[in-house]
Amino acid sequence: MRGVLEGDGLAIGVPHGAALIEYGEAVLRGDGQRRALAREALYRDLGAAALVDAAAIVASFNAVVKLADGSGIPLEDYKEKATAGLREELGLERFNQAGS
Amino acid sequence: MTLRTSLDPRALPIREGLAREFRRAWQRLAAPGTWWTGQERLAIAAEVRHASTCALCRRRKEALSPYTVDGSHQTPGLLSAAMVEIVHRLSTDAGRLTRTWLRSMLDAGVSEEQYVETVGVVAMITALDTFDLALGLPRRALPAARPGAPNRQRPAGARRDLAWVMTVAPEALSPGDTNPYAHGDKNIHRALSLVPREVLNFFDLDIELYLQDHQIRDFDHEFRALSHGQIELLAGRVSAINGCYY
Repeated sequence: MRGVLEGDGLAIGVPHGAALIEYGEAVLRGDGQRRALAREALYRDLGAAALVDAAAIVASFNAVVKLADGSGIPLEDYKEKATAGLREELGLERFNQAGS
Repeated sequence: MTLRTSLDPRALPIREGLAREFRRAWQRLAAPGTWWTGQERLAIAAEVRHASTCALCRRRKEALSPYTVDGSHQTPGLLSAAMVEIVHRLSTDAGRLTRTWLRSMLDAGVSEEQYVETVGVVAMITALDTFDLALGLPRRALPAARPGAPNRQRPAGARRDLAWVMTVAPEALSPGDTNPYAHGDKNIHRALSLVPREVLNFFDLDIELYLQDHQIRDFDHEFRALSHGQIELLAGRVSAINGCYY
């Protein structure tokens, strides 16, 4: 899990994981040139349809966070219990403002 | 350095369902909503685009707490001061919003229903613009507003029990209410259920961007050109960048 949240994704074992991680980072944190390089790499390695789907995933998860953060909706109880230890280990509770 | 590329983003194959929902999302953005007119919804979208260059938002984002940094937002001036604050914070630092902050925005004159619809509009334009940015497409001009008045339909079963804002539990829907749970009944679907039309607007698009609810854990099938593992890896990193606990 830590490799999903941090680092270059090489240790995750997902095919083309590093290129996907770099793409997400480049779109949301990079400049135009970094975005273009990351886009080109995905296009070359995975193809046009996968590039479109990757863009769609970045768009989805860059937007849906507004619903959760803007409304203060909590995690479902079963998810909260199932992921309590993991969230503690990863320090994710610092992001949880739902009770504030 | 100039990047030589064989990639023409305008020639990329956009899935039919995705293209259809993009067209519909742009139309819905410009149409009268439940609590805002089409013109007001577009003013919110324009403010989202402006927020990325706001110096106050940048200083707040860098601060240990955004609530210690005062100043004025840079704005095209189409919205009230409270609405500018709402849109800028949702756009640039949503992960550090608090119930107390929301209460101060409501005290400043924005209704809870207007706030919830605003969250939906911010999410919608964020998705649309992020997709174009991610593919290297130019940012589209906002469409022309469609005339008409908001319909002001408020679900009878709305209660303040789960989130900062009132929501309608699936079991509390009344026969006359628009059902916001057409795409699922998780908490994330419930978040904006005070304005059911905004839930449908967002998730009609989102199930094409991401996956339908039942597809998310169907590991026997792949539904996109990326595998489940690739999708969740990328989604996890984007959520982490956004500081999303959900």
